[in-house]
Amino acid sequence: MNITYNWLKEFVDFQETPEELAALLTMLGLEVESMEKLGEGMDSIVVALVEEKRQHPNADKLSLCRVNNGTEILDIVCGAQNFKQGDTVALAQIGSVLPGDFKIKKSKIRGEESCGMLCSEKELGLAEESAGIIILPPQCAPLGTPVFTALGLKDTLFEIGLTPNRSDCLSAIGIARDIAAKLGLALKYPCSPVVEGTQKVESIIRVTVEDTDNCPRYAARYLSGCTIAPSPEWLVKRLNAIGIRSINNVVDITNLVMMELGQPLHAFDCDRLAGHRIVVRTAQEREPFTTLDNQLRILTSTDLVICDAERPVALAGIMGGLNSEIENTTTSILLESAFFKPATIRKTSKKVGLHTESSHRFERGIDIDNVVRALDRAAGLIVELAGGVLAQGVIDIYSDKKDRAAITFRPEKANKLIGIDLERDVIIDILTRLECRISPGADGSVLVVPPHYRIDIEREIDLIEEIARLNGYDKIPATMPHARVVSDRATRHQEIEKQIRDLLVNNGMTEIINFSFTAPDAACKLLLADNDPRHLAIKLVNPLVDEQSVMRTTLLPGLLETIARNINYRSLDLKLFEMRRVYLPGEAENMPQEPLCLVGAITGSRDGDGWSRPNELVDFYDAKGLIETILDALDIGGVSWKTEDPESYFHPGKSSRIYAGREYIGSVGEIHPSVQKNFQIEKPVYCFELNVEKIVKLSRTKKTIIAPSRFPDSSRDIAMLVPEELAAVKIVECIRAEKSKEIENVQIFDVYRGNGVPDGHKSIAVRIKYRSFERTLAEDEIAMLHNKIVENLINKLQVAVR
Amino acid sequence: MREQLEQLRNGALQAIAAASSVEQLQEIRISVLGRKGELTALMKGLGSLSAAERPIVGQMVNSVRDEIESSLGAAIKSAQEEVIATRLQSERIDTSLPGRRPVKGSKHPVSLVIEEICSIFAGLGFAVAEGPEIEHDWYNFEALNFPPEHPARDMQDTFFVENNLLLRTHTSPVQIRTMLKQKPPVRIIAPGTVYRCDSDATHSPMFHQIEGLMVDSDVTFGDLKGILTVFTNQLFGQKTGVRLRPSYFPFTEPSAEVDIACVICGGKGCRVCKNSGWLEILGAGMVDPEVYRHVQYDAENISGFAFGMGIERIAMLKYGISDMRLLFENDVRFLRQF
Repeated sequence: MNITYNWLKEFVDFQETPEELAALLTMLGLEVESMEKLGEGMDSIVVALVEEKRQHPNADKLSLCRVNNGTEILDIVCGAQNFKQGDTVALAQIGSVLPGDFKIKKSKIRGEESCGMLCSEKELGLAEESAGIIILPPQCAPLGTPVFTALGLKDTLFEIGLTPNRSDCLSAIGIARDIAAKLGLALKYPCSPVVEGTQKVESIIRVTVEDTDNCPRYAARYLSGCTIAPSPEWLVKRLNAIGIRSINNVVDITNLVMMELGQPLHAFDCDRLAGHRIVVRTAQEREPFTTLDNQLRILTSTDLVICDAERPVALAGIMGGLNSEIENTTTSILLESAFFKPATIRKTSKKVGLHTESSHRFERGIDIDNVVRALDRAAGLIVELAGGVLAQGVIDIYSDKKDRAAITFRPEKANKLIGIDLERDVIIDILTRLECRISPGADGSVLVVPPHYRIDIEREIDLIEEIARLNGYDKIPATMPHARVVSDRATRHQEIEKQIRDLLVNNGMTEIINFSFTAPDAACKLLLADNDPRHLAIKLVNPLVDEQSVMRTTLLPGLLETIARNINYRSLDLKLFEMRRVYLPGEAENMPQEPLCLVGAITGSRDGDGWSRPNELVDFYDAKGLIETILDALDIGGVSWKTEDPESYFHPGKSSRIYAGREYIGSVGEIHPSVQKNFQIEKPVYCFELNVEKIVKLSRTKKTIIAPSRFPDSSRDIAMLVPEELAAVKIVECIRAEKSKEIENVQIFDVYRGNGVPDGHKSIAVRIKYRSFERTLAEDEIAMLHNKIVENLINKLQVAVR
Repeated sequence: MREQLEQLRNGALQAIAAASSVEQLQEIRISVLGRKGELTALMKGLGSLSAAERPIVGQMVNSVRDEIESSLGAAIKSAQEEVIATRLQSERIDTSLPGRRPVKGSKHPVSLVIEEICSIFAGLGFAVAEGPEIEHDWYNFEALNFPPEHPARDMQDTFFVENNLLLRTHTSPVQIRTMLKQKPPVRIIAPGTVYRCDSDATHSPMFHQIEGLMVDSDVTFGDLKGILTVFTNQLFGQKTGVRLRPSYFPFTEPSAEVDIACVICGGKGCRVCKNSGWLEILGAGMVDPEVYRHVQYDAENISGFAFGMGIERIAMLKYGISDMRLLFENDVRFLRQF
């Protein structure tokens, strides 16, 4: 909502400066989002007189002028044709800056010096187009007076961000009313004398409201013999100041009254209304109608239309029709002022995609009691500016007039909820200033009838808010609540989520956050089998773009896209993770599932470059190690790594599925070369994924801690040749199968292929650390145990000990 | 024997003085004082002396031994010191070379801000609550007093999904879910992902909010002001000015927008605060009785407040980020700075 300082001042006589007024409005809940000083910095553009005008010697279309700015006579070159010697003009002197950051400098034009510029309305930002320079009224102001001052254009424009509940402030009078209530000042309503002719309005026009539910009130007046003409300057300026384009006197008046009183009005060319009839009804299914903007609209039975005897002439409350608009030749006018049901207007406006100043007000709710006041104000102005005769009387169809109900209001409740301690009289004074009608109620309460324009005030709490608002939020003391103590410990889920995040970050991983929506083919890029449930993504009904049109079922595509993008930016060593939700359709009638998942990806150098680094590349085991660290920290038991049935997006020979007992909890592996290609990544990437929900369920809360042994350890190494197919874990399992309490640790410390190792084989070296909790182990004791383990390895796994 | 002793003493002391390393001195110790050393051999001769001479010569032997030992000790100590001194003289590294750092990871700024805010409110006794992102209209709008066709729904452009569900436009439905689950007192903070169909430099179709809710027997609007003042002071610094001004949300009344004194210009007015000196950071208010009705709370006997804020906006202010899109581009050159 745009409004100017000078306009508000016509209705309330406040003393505040524009800055003070802006602060006051903001603290009333009418937020001043921006403030523009109209005509500011334009004082060097002054009223000047053209004393002499002659042809430019070197250019046909230019003239040389001698212009008097009140103190001196300047040479000015001008290209406009629409002025003559003796005209009063607007002179931008050297140093002026015109809108659009256009600086006026001393210059030579085709060899002739020019000390300034004669301006057009467009150049001064006063009009969108102009044919030539402005010619000011002779002697409108002393020469040298700033033009904006001379034209009365010095003002301040406030752009107010209104909340949807304050429809009463979608007008100058509404904002002025709040200022008056806050400052305790009187409010002056605009009014124009209504002089009626003798012919009765009912004898000329007839109005029928068929749908009183959607149109509870419809009022109209009739004028004849009007002359459509451009609006006078004051009207053009007023509308321009708040960003409304002037059209003609009658249309401008309807706009002015709407901005002034908040009531949208519509003027019909009455001679174009068949039968001089108005019928308010719902549209027929597929009824065609062309609105003022020359768009053909196909209506449905939920749309409300204004019709004449034959056809629709306006889309009620939204826009008039091309078939009945005011034209230059119009002489008789039917002026409409009505109240339409907000929800109906909103539905139609949304459906046809037409949001107008008028529909904006109707859908938020206007003041039903203001309908005739606005109609009279506009009719009076039309007679004043367009001439003609106003028919006698008003057609006002308002069958179901209701009085507003009184609200029971307890002043002490207001004090208690807000946390203030206002006297009862002060509270009642605030309500009175808001034009509420007050009467005593039962048990010390007050009966309050709110003013008709405040449709947002219906309940006691609404009045409490008004007390807080008018008294000032700044006057409420900040206190700390008296509260009961409750347990607020984080849930296990929240703790584990934080633990995982901390662990990964402490291990060099960087967290990313991708959008939850993704492209419909994102899962296909992972080469998932046709029957994979991850193809079944939840679809958005109204996506912004196709690439963000389904809810992701896996975090991997987003992660791989992020990897690709970063590699494009030449960040080659990446360790990224994302821990967020995925979205899976619910079964049958159930809500969708939103399990928390974790994915990570690593690529490039393991430790970063540097003088002290070997610059090794990450591999599968780095990814696996991160998962192992997490599973270890969360004490997940019974973890196994299976190579069977690899995930489609992993290299089948370099990946594994992770199980905790029988539960599939995640996977890890090198990204499949084809998937890598689908994401345009040109180097190996190792990924892991974990289902955090399952981890939370499996994580053991009680750790068993064992006191360390006080006795010395003794280590033995075994190097063995094994077939390539033998998983190293089998060797460890075989050693562990001995179930000796004296085996403290089994560690694979070397895996070797090459010189001395036959093809299809690998050499694996294991170190077993023996230690007892009870005594120092004797050499022969260790030897016996170790020999048994070696024998087991040879017998059960057919290893060749080297 | 005395002469022998004197000779041995002089010889040993000369040898000690001439020795140039700890090893040589140790050899001297062994050859003189060791089990097969010269002095030990001499001691063995004590037996052949007369009873009268034995204690005198014995004392002499002891004093020679003490003298040699202390001279050896001193010489070894000084030789060792010299070894260290020589080592310190010769060993040099270039300490200006960069250290070998563990690779640094980082949390996403959105996670950092959520963690910080949750921890401030944990200190005030607020528990963390969560709720689904794919929601029913009832939880996201109706129970929060946004009736169908209400213009307030325009404040939040909604993404709809199949089966009459929507992507929550704010974290406020968590209020409803929490109150339906538990009776007062309620004190929760609910961080989460929210969605609106809007995308430009200051709007992202996906972003994050934190919702707060407190309901108890006598909670006032002044308490809301108190809690938010404590919160903003902890988040932005002790002296940050806080301003509440009237606003409108369907689910609170009275409602307020909460501004802090601009953290960029300190309230003097700059481009970021549009010359107002204030930055809007959160919306708040007293829970509307209509909301209590939907969750079957008795509005006459309890009262409470709710507030909500955008995480990205706070992250942008805290870290001086001007374009919200940076937060979701996941460029590691940006993310590694956190």
